Amino acid sequence: MSATTESELLRLDDISLSFKGVKAITSISFAVKAGEICALIGPNGAGKSSLLNVINGVYQAQSGIVTYAGQARRRMRPHQAAERGIARTFQNIALFKGMSVLDNVLTGRNLKLRSSWIEQVLRLGRAPREDDEQRRRAEKIIEFLRIHPWRHVLVGKLPYGLQKRVELARALAAEPRLLLLDEPMAGMNAEEKDEMSQFIRDINREFGTTVVLIEHDIGVVMGLCDHVVVLDYGRKIGDGTPEQVRANPDVIAAYLGTRRSRAESH
Amino acid sequence: MAQTLPLALLQQAQTRGSAIALRYKRLGIWHARSWSELAQDVGRLAAALHQRGFGRHDDLLIISQARSEALLLALAAQWLGGSVTLLDPERDNRALLARLRPSFVLAEALDAVQQVRHADLPPRVLLFLDGRGLNAGEGKGLSAYADLFSGVAAEPPVCATEPAAIAFVFHADTHGPSLRLSHAQLLGGARKLVAREHLSGAEEALAARVFAASGQARYLLAPWLCAGFCLNFPEAMATRDTDRRELGPTLVLGTRESYARLEQWARERLPLPGTLGYRLYRWAMVPEAQAFRRWLGYWLIRRPLLDVLGMSRLRVPLLVGPALSQESAAFFGALGIHPGNWQEPSARQEPADTRIPLISQSV
Repeated sequence: MSATTESELLRLDDISLSFKGVKAITSISFAVKAGEICALIGPNGAGKSSLLNVINGVYQAQSGIVTYAGQARRRMRPHQAAERGIARTFQNIALFKGMSVLDNVLTGRNLKLRSSWIEQVLRLGRAPREDDEQRRRAEKIIEFLRIHPWRHVLVGKLPYGLQKRVELARALAAEPRLLLLDEPMAGMNAEEKDEMSQFIRDINREFGTTVVLIEHDIGVVMGLCDHVVVLDYGRKIGDGTPEQVRANPDVIAAYLGTRRSRAESH
Repeated sequence: MAQTLPLALLQQAQTRGSAIALRYKRLGIWHARSWSELAQDVGRLAAALHQRGFGRHDDLLIISQARSEALLLALAAQWLGGSVTLLDPERDNRALLARLRPSFVLAEALDAVQQVRHADLPPRVLLFLDGRGLNAGEGKGLSAYADLFSGVAAEPPVCATEPAAIAFVFHADTHGPSLRLSHAQLLGGARKLVAREHLSGAEEALAARVFAASGQARYLLAPWLCAGFCLNFPEAMATRDTDRRELGPTLVLGTRESYARLEQWARERLPLPGTLGYRLYRWAMVPEAQAFRRWLGYWLIRRPLLDVLGMSRLRVPLLVGPALSQESAAFFGALGIHPGNWQEPSARQEPADTRIPLISQSV
């Protein structure tokens, strides 16, 4: 196992995952430096979402080690990941549609509550002060992501692009060190993608949050990310800066379908 | 009777110091400042500007939407005898800035800061309100507005402005003539408006884009200091409709376009034509109905609609510029809102430059 360096926030070593004999991820290793924006790219079924699920503990890898913030572990539950500063969004929006934007964002603050349930119910002790603080923090995120005009609107009534932003706000409300975004720009038009890219860049710069994201739009990835990891059929085929990945023959082959023709030519 | 805007502020602070002068919304919460607190804030800002070399012959250039900070800093510059040039942040001001070469600038956010930096000669002092996207310590003379309050002398300098001094300068475009309004002109016009509309300290006015156009300075800012009512700032332009609903202002100021925008906004929320709800709306909006129909229509339709528009407490709907379209006039008329045209005599004596907006989007 490789040793982690101080600048690495996340390191995956030899991670493998299979479902009933089907190998989703095979011996993947890479590291994400603190403060960088890292993209996981690859065709459908390459294992990108599974890898995010391994990082935040939804799936437990059959082999390999995940080292996060200097601590190596084989198993971690999702709530432990959240407590340690890993937040995520989902490919299919997972919000409370019948709740307002503000209430959805406040749910992202649950782990930050210190008052007991009895204090909350009776509005005693730490509860009132803590509620004010939670609201203030949630509002800061809401303003940061420019969703304040809709703070009291039910999420289910918002257009898709805004719902994606609310989901990002909820993840950000947990004040994560590592933010995992599963296709944050899926289904968006070019203008919405630009806007979302800018928000991700701002989150990374203003809060110093490390971001690992899955994205299919290569143009967006190349413009936004510092580091790109390319997966294909559960294996890593590329890892480096956008320029390095763009020049990698295996990546070109996987994306442009030249592998077969190259093999045939040999 | 106060002859300058800063003196009008001090007079309000002396006579009705604990009354609320200004309300603004930050992070979803309304905050209030009394007249005495406001006068103290402006005094401290004047001291901070003075420390940075701002004097009676200087001009402070502000590129910002309606924000309380921008208003306070404008009053502080005027306190020191200087003038204030107001530019719309949504316009491309680079050519104009290159011509004006301002020494003291308040820029709302990164876009405005970049416009200022585009000019050949960087300003001596460049203040910003929102530091998002700006790197700390980047650029000479760049500092946060919030930093003005730290390390300021306890005693503010003496209020040095004179009635004939220029208070605000507006530019239509890069090469066109500027519109310059003195303290005396502003206060003279404001007193006429206050008397005509019987404005008092009890009014609640909503200020959206206070600095975008001359009409805001004439018909909202100066009357605010004269009458001593409460000026409310929305959280952002995007939230002004919600904020108006929360506030229920008694005084609004707008143009034909801004009233039309509001009408359109309301119409988009009406029930679909052909539905029972729409027929009920049409029934309730007939202007010359019998007393019972008027009464019932008010409680069933018109009052809820006024609440949605944030106009149920509206007493003084001001209109600057051309009259409303027939449709808008009928819509607002049915709701009992009759925006009257207001053109002060002094405005007609100034250089007639129709390109300089009187006001924009304040309703």
